[in-house]
Amino acid sequence: MRTEPPNLLIVDDSTAIRKILLRVLNQTGLELGQVLEAGDGKEALRLMEGRDISLVLSDINMPNMDGLELLRALRGSPQWHDLPVVMITTEGGQAKVEEAIELGATSYVRKPFSADSLRDKLAALLSK
Amino acid sequence: MTQEQAGRVIPQENEMAEMLVAATQEVFTSMLGSEIQQVSAPEAERSTPFDGVLSLIGLAGALIGNGALLCSAETACDLSSKLLGATYPAVDEEVLDAVGEITNMIVGGFKNLLESHVGPLQMSIPSVIFGKNISMRDARADVAVATRYVFPGGEFGLTIRLATARE
Repeated sequence: MRTEPPNLLIVDDSTAIRKILLRVLNQTGLELGQVLEAGDGKEALRLMEGRDISLVLSDINMPNMDGLELLRALRGSPQWHDLPVVMITTEGGQAKVEEAIELGATSYVRKPFSADSLRDKLAALLSK
Repeated sequence: MTQEQAGRVIPQENEMAEMLVAATQEVFTSMLGSEIQQVSAPEAERSTPFDGVLSLIGLAGALIGNGALLCSAETACDLSSKLLGATYPAVDEEVLDAVGEITNMIVGGFKNLLESHVGPLQMSIPSVIFGKNISMRDARADVAVATRYVFPGGEFGLTIRLATARE
């Protein structure tokens, strides 16, 4: 059973969206450990090395390494194979969302999102 | 006039304008907590030089082109304040990033609506320009949509320029 507060990773090339997600996370009322931020998939993988991460929130459309490539890398890794990953995207058109689900995304949230619904979704995932 | 390409019916400009307005309203309601009102847009908005912020997102698929948000520096700061819940007295990196993200969400919402008519479209990441005497010119546009909005804090324009992709 987990005793330490969970560490989270937000992956988005937009600092604006990272700020909004951070604010929503702080409003969940849950005790959180470190909340790390990365600007793309490559930076995310670097930050995750040697760390215990409980949840990743990732954009899909990013430079260098996009969210789908990041998800593919995580699902191919024994360490991160079962890590909850929530994709946050404007790609409401089904192709990329379906690809993310096929690759093993735990859930997805389409931008624009309401803070209330995102807060409820994150609280449910983090309290599991 | 409705155009047809490869069995797909490309929506008329007024239908695309409705999609753009719907996408804009959703972003303002969900993310900025603000109401907007559409006002009439000057036809040549993008070709008229202006001072402020221009945010661009490319679209590619059966149609190619871009969506753009145009506003003054003051409006860019106000949009950012509404999105991020902080005060921005002047345009800085965070303001440009916030305006880019607002454009990304609006054009993304428009793209999602348009895809049901024209098939899958790809979106670029936003490019945001801040400066004086900015004007834009599109080499070719079969569809040109210009909309303008007011909200408590300022006004801004949104445009879509699309052309049918050449085989």
